Amino acid sequence: MAAQGARSETILVVGGGIAGITTAVEAAEAGAEVVLVERGPSLGGRVAQLSRYFPKLCHPTCGLEINYQRIRGNRRLRVITMATVAAVTGDRGAYTARIETRPRHVTARCTGCGDCARASQTRVPNPYNYDLDTVPAAHLAHPMAYPMRYVIADSVIGTPEADRIEAACRYGAVDLGEEPGAFDMVVGAVVWATGWRPYDAAKLQPYGYERHANVITNVEMERLAATTGPTLGQILRPSDAKPAKRVAMIQCAGSRDHNHLPYCSRICCLASLKHAAYLREAYADAEVDIYYIDIRAHDKLESFHARIKADPRVRFIKSKPASISENEAGDPVLHGEDTLTRDLYETAYDMVVLAIGMAPTAGDAMPEAALETDEYGFIVAAETLGGGMFSAGVAAGPLDVSLSVQSATAAALKAIQAVRGG
Amino acid sequence: MAGAETATYDLGFAKWVAGNISGADKLSMCMQCGMCSGSCPIGTQMDHGPRKLIMMIRAGMRDAVLSANTLWNCTQCYNCTVRCPRGIPVTEILQGLATVAVAEGHAGGEPTARFSEAFWWSLAKFGRTDERLVTSRFYFSAGLAEGVRKSRENLAIALRMIKARRMHLGAPHKIKRRKNLQAILAKAREIEARGAGEGD
Repeated sequence: MAAQGARSETILVVGGGIAGITTAVEAAEAGAEVVLVERGPSLGGRVAQLSRYFPKLCHPTCGLEINYQRIRGNRRLRVITMATVAAVTGDRGAYTARIETRPRHVTARCTGCGDCARASQTRVPNPYNYDLDTVPAAHLAHPMAYPMRYVIADSVIGTPEADRIEAACRYGAVDLGEEPGAFDMVVGAVVWATGWRPYDAAKLQPYGYERHANVITNVEMERLAATTGPTLGQILRPSDAKPAKRVAMIQCAGSRDHNHLPYCSRICCLASLKHAAYLREAYADAEVDIYYIDIRAHDKLESFHARIKADPRVRFIKSKPASISENEAGDPVLHGEDTLTRDLYETAYDMVVLAIGMAPTAGDAMPEAALETDEYGFIVAAETLGGGMFSAGVAAGPLDVSLSVQSATAAALKAIQAVRGG
Repeated sequence: MAGAETATYDLGFAKWVAGNISGADKLSMCMQCGMCSGSCPIGTQMDHGPRKLIMMIRAGMRDAVLSANTLWNCTQCYNCTVRCPRGIPVTEILQGLATVAVAEGHAGGEPTARFSEAFWWSLAKFGRTDERLVTSRFYFSAGLAEGVRKSRENLAIALRMIKARRMHLGAPHKIKRRKNLQAILAKAREIEARGAGEGD
C-alpha cells in the first residue's frame, strides 16, 4: 500500500444501474462512505428500461423505488449524475479518480413540474426507448428518474428556444450557462458497475435488422410492451402499427457465435419466454414460435420455461434460422432447417424478435485505469493498482438482474474489506 | 445378425474423419443448430444437408455419408462456412469427404465426380483443359450408348462453337515443358502415398 499522499476509505462506484445502485446502497448501509457516479441524467440503467422482470413478471419500478428510498435515507451515499470517470491512478486506499461532468442545465431547484418540456419545440432522440420515439428538448430521462430532475438537450443551448425554456420555469431552476467540468476525488476502492450494451443487431447481416422494419430486437420488444414505451404498452409492429400476433423469436442472435459474441448471454432465453408471455397476455389469438438451439432456463427459472411450454399457442422449433427475407405484405419470412423434422422451412410472421445478447461496455470508453478484462472484454477484479478495483453486475460478465444484485453485494463487501483491511 | 437388410455402422468413423479429413478436427464443435443446412442455396437438392451429414458421421454411417450426393452437389459458395457459429470449415470437410468417396469407389455414378475426373485427366495430361476432350470423356464415362446420344444431342452446339471460334479443331492445347508438370504430379503422388506432407 502506498504510504504517501492523502488516504481515503471512500468507495467509488461507477455506473448507476441496478448493480451500481446495489453496491452503493449495501456498502453505505454497512457504514462506508460511498460516491456513486452515473453517466446519464438518471439512475436506473437497463433495469429501468424493462417492462417486467422474469420469472415473476413483476415491474422493476417497485425494486427501484425501494432502492431510491434507501439512497435518500443514507447520508453516507452521494450520487453524481451526468458524470464519467476519466482516469484512476494511485494505489489501494489512495486512488485519485478524475471525474468529468456534463451540463444538465437544470439545478436542484427543479420540482419536476414539466413546464420546460411544454415550452420545448424541438424533439430529440429518446435513448430510454432505444430511439423508437423522441422527447422534447427539455425532458425527464424516464418516469422513474432519480434524481427527479429535468435535463435540457445540448442541441438547443444557445437558441431562442432555450430562452423560452428558461422563461417557462417558475422556480428559476434552468441554468443555461452551465459548463462541462472536471474534478479529482481521492477514494480507497473502486467498483466498476458499467453494465452492458445490446449487441449491434445490424451485424447479424442475414437477419436484415436494418432492411426489414418488422425485425426488432428483444430490448425494443421490452419497450413495446412497456406502458411507458412508444406504443404505451400495445405490442404493434413498426411498419404499419398492426397488432403483432404471429411472432417469431430467434434465440442466440449473436450469442454463442464465434463471428459475434462467443459466450452465452444468459438472459435471452428467459427474456424470450417472457416476451411470449407478454404476447399471450396481450392477444388471446397470439401465436409465438421460439427458434432455439437449446433453452437455458436453469434452476428456479425452469418452472417458468415449463409454464410457457405448456401453452399450445407457443411452439418451440429447434433451429437456428439461417436468414430472413420479406414478402409483399411486409411480413418477415424466416428460412432455415428444423433440425428435429429435418425439413427446410420458409415461414412468414407479423414480426420477428431477435434475442440479441449482452456486449461488454469496457471497450467503448475505457477510462485510464489499467483495468483488466477477460477474453471477452468483461472487467475482472484487477491485481494492478494495489488490488482495490472490483467489478459488479454485467460489467463482470453476463448476468440477469437477481444475479447482478448478488454480484453487487459481493463487490460491496470486497470494497469495504479493501478500504478497511490491511 | 449380419444380413443384406442390416445397416452397418462404423463406430470409429467420426474419429477417423476427424483425424484424416482436413478441417474435420473441428467437427466435435458442431452443436447441430442447422445454420449450415438452412443457409445452403441448393439444400433442397441434397440427399442430406451438411448438419444432417455431420450427424450421420457421428452415427458412424460411413457408406451413406460417402455415397451422399451432398458431397457432389455442393457448389462451394461457402455460406455454411462463413455463417457457422462454431467456426467449422464445412465446405472444406465436404471436399475432403468427396476425395475419400472417389478413392473408395463410392462416387462412380455421380456426374460431378465423372466430370471432375475428365477435367483432371486433361489437366494432368496436357497442362490445360481441352473442351472437346473433357466434354466427350465426360459423356462417354456414362457408357458408350449414353456417350453417343449426348454427343449427337450437342453436335449442333459444338459446330456453332467451332464456327464462332470458341472451340478449335486439331491437336489439343498443351503447355510447354510438360515433363516438369509430370514430375511435379509424380512428387505429389509420392507424398500422398506416404500419407503426409513434406513439412510433417
